[in-house]
Amino acid sequence: MKNETKVQRKASFLQAIKAVSWAFFGIRKKSDHDHDAATLTLGQVIVAGIIGAAIFVTSVLMMVKLVTS
Amino acid sequence: MAAVHDDHAHGHGHGHEHGHDDHAHGPPKGMMRWLTTTNHKDIGTMYLWFSFSMFIVGGLMAFGIRAELFQPGMQLMTPEFFNSLTTNHGLIMVFGAIMPAFVGFANWQVPMMIGAPDMAFARMNNWSFWLLPPAALLLVAAFFVPGGAGAGGWTFYPPLSVQMGMGMDMMIFAVHILGASSIMGSINIITTILNMRAPGMTLMKMPLFVWTWLITAYLLVLVMPVLAGTVTMLLTDRHFGTNFFNAAGGGDPIMFQHIFWFFGHPEVYIMILPAFGIVSEILPTFSRKPLFGYSSMVYATASIAILSCVVWAHHMFTVGMPVTAQLFFMYATMLIAVPTGVKVFNWTATMWQGSMSFETPMLFAIGFIFLFTIGGFSGVVCAVVPVDIQVQETYYVIAHFHYVLVSGSLFALFGGVYYWLPKWTGHMYDESLGKLHFWMSMVFFNVTFFVQHFLGLAGMPRRVPDYALQFADFNMISSIGAFGFGLSQLIFLAAVVKCIRGGKKAEAKPWEGATTLEWDLPSPAPYHSWVTPPVVK
Repeated sequence: MKNETKVQRKASFLQAIKAVSWAFFGIRKKSDHDHDAATLTLGQVIVAGIIGAAIFVTSVLMMVKLVTS
Repeated sequence: MAAVHDDHAHGHGHGHEHGHDDHAHGPPKGMMRWLTTTNHKDIGTMYLWFSFSMFIVGGLMAFGIRAELFQPGMQLMTPEFFNSLTTNHGLIMVFGAIMPAFVGFANWQVPMMIGAPDMAFARMNNWSFWLLPPAALLLVAAFFVPGGAGAGGWTFYPPLSVQMGMGMDMMIFAVHILGASSIMGSINIITTILNMRAPGMTLMKMPLFVWTWLITAYLLVLVMPVLAGTVTMLLTDRHFGTNFFNAAGGGDPIMFQHIFWFFGHPEVYIMILPAFGIVSEILPTFSRKPLFGYSSMVYATASIAILSCVVWAHHMFTVGMPVTAQLFFMYATMLIAVPTGVKVFNWTATMWQGSMSFETPMLFAIGFIFLFTIGGFSGVVCAVVPVDIQVQETYYVIAHFHYVLVSGSLFALFGGVYYWLPKWTGHMYDESLGKLHFWMSMVFFNVTFFVQHFLGLAGMPRRVPDYALQFADFNMISSIGAFGFGLSQLIFLAAVVKCIRGGKKAEAKPWEGATTLEWDLPSPAPYHSWVTPPVVK
């Protein structure tokens, strides 16, 4: 990463959410992954991860509500 | 496990050694070396031998269990003692054998694989290890105190755990100590990985074993205090008049189960993620191809870790909870199969069209994939609430988690030992012994545990010293398998001891397909390695 310092450093938060969503699935395209590695910051990933976990839990809960209603 | 170390570090092109005086850098002699050592390799060695000796102790308990279950009726022991055996077999294998073995691997391998000279907190590392023997002593000595060892199951469920004698207190203290050791070990591993990587080794260039341990260490720091907290509540219920879990005093025994399994389910992944890491190192080496989908593997490991924190109540579907909760935990549990499936797919794709060879580590890795997948599937079966209500507390569950923990974690550990023994000892292990060990383990493991699926489906409950006549045949087969499996581990001991004592000299990189940093060091790895960090491109 250090060798590619001139690459734009800041990624949008939407991109972090996208990366984390793929991470939940466990798969990521190589080119997208390389782009993420170059631009995403650790803070963004952690915040997006926490939001992602909350969305995951909420959506499973909504699914359950739907099934039991 | 290496007894053979060079007393002086080698230069070997890394240009770090001044070669002046061996004594300044070599370890002290005799017992003091092991008591006072701060060297990651010495400590790793002690962890591995400790876990092997606990594996023998826990294994002897399994012998007792399977001997009693060889035939229906009470033959060898009292039911109380039988229950102590099942309880302590579980506890010792989880906390004494599997977990310390992985920490031993982390100690040996993480610094060498990331190009660090040692662990970040070398003295704390010594302390982490030396906490283990007193804890083990407490667990074993509990058998000799009035009332015997704890016998309420390794899960400490109240009300039994509130009622039992001082053996239970000893179990609780042992878990406190083991927990403290694990937390310190994890902090050490996290700090080492985050701060001591060689120049150029970015996170996404780390070997997968290092990644899985980083994530495991975070899980440990997250959940071990929860366990410590809940067993402390148990202790105060027992001795200081609190009623956290005592229904008669307004407490709730079910709350214990929720807190325990909030620790317990991530614990399952603590025991399997480093195994994933070891297998992900072995497979590319013997397939002579890079790991397929490296970043997917990292992502899958991270998401498994996160998901592992929201599924705990699938261990307790039958204790009573709203149907919405049952469904939530069922769905969340089944979703773990997705990232796990990604991993199995990636391992298979790594082997696909590879130039494979089948040395012992590779055999164990392939055995791992095959049998762990069976264990994973039976896990999905157990995740289905109506099915689980049938199989809860039966041998089906025993079969499931032994497929995950024995043919999963333990097979990966065996594979890892054979894979890195040349680096640790400087000698090649005996390939025939290794292969014999694998095939004996493979066959006897399945003889022992596959039939337990049938026993469970037919309704045989777990944790019973006696059973109805219709279960006799499968129990006999399972017991024969268990004795075969246990005795096969002597082959492992023989192979390791033989390798330590001598054998064909190992090259720096005995496996042509290996790519990670530790293979750039001479074999055996010098006592102080990577004093000057390598530069990773």
